[in-house]
Amino acid sequence: MAEPVRVRLVLPRAPRAELLATRAVEEAGQRIAFPRDTLAEVKLAVVEACLNAIEYGTGEVEVEVIAHPNDAHPWIEVAVVDHGPGFDPSQVPRPVLEDKLRSRRKRGWGLELVRRLMDEVEITSRPGMTRVRMIRRRGGE
Amino acid sequence: METFELKVADQDGKVAVLEVAGYINNEGGEVIAKEARRLIDAGRHTLLLDLRATRIINSIGISLLLEVLEHILEVKGTLAFCCLTPSIAKTFQIMGLAQYTRIFPDRATALAELSSGQ
Repeated sequence: MAEPVRVRLVLPRAPRAELLATRAVEEAGQRIAFPRDTLAEVKLAVVEACLNAIEYGTGEVEVEVIAHPNDAHPWIEVAVVDHGPGFDPSQVPRPVLEDKLRSRRKRGWGLELVRRLMDEVEITSRPGMTRVRMIRRRGGE
Repeated sequence: METFELKVADQDGKVAVLEVAGYINNEGGEVIAKEARRLIDAGRHTLLLDLRATRIINSIGISLLLEVLEHILEVKGTLAFCCLTPSIAKTFQIMGLAQYTRIFPDRATALAELSSGQ
């Protein structure tokens, strides 16, 4: 079986840095012939994870993309790590559009989109390190 | 890399069409929101955002689109989208946007239905 394709990068703290991570996803995904539309969803989820890491983290944001070229069931795994204060994912409220339209704060969709666009999301967070690990399989919902 | 551009393609008909190209992030979203506010304040209460040249949108850009939606709902107008990529369509579906906006597969269909008031 072919070896996984691995891409690691450290995002600069610069506008649009999250798009660098989407390029890594695109490159790795194409190498295992991951479906374009599914890859596009992974890219949107990765943008959100990176934005959260950039906004709430401090120091470097590390991204690792691993594309697993299993012939029948290729899958993509992405981890985004920041070194901020950490957070409790269970305390992040799920956004409701009706409420958001009435509220002055219309943000707060990032984590929900990550969870809904990927098949599996695992968040490990403590002061000094938050790691969001996401998996998307071909043909996932 | 995903250079943002906004063009108001039609300001004369019933429907004001905003052609959006590139990444809708905080900057792109602000540009859209500002132009939309201008149009709404000028009495254009049906806005169609043509996203055929947009591949990526982020949640900050989306929150700015929600400001546009809030503003347009206040004047009992209509916010519509067309030509969404499957991934952006899924994002809108996750958010429940179809409940408050109209989403069309292509611009011709959108203009036909919005212009006829359907």
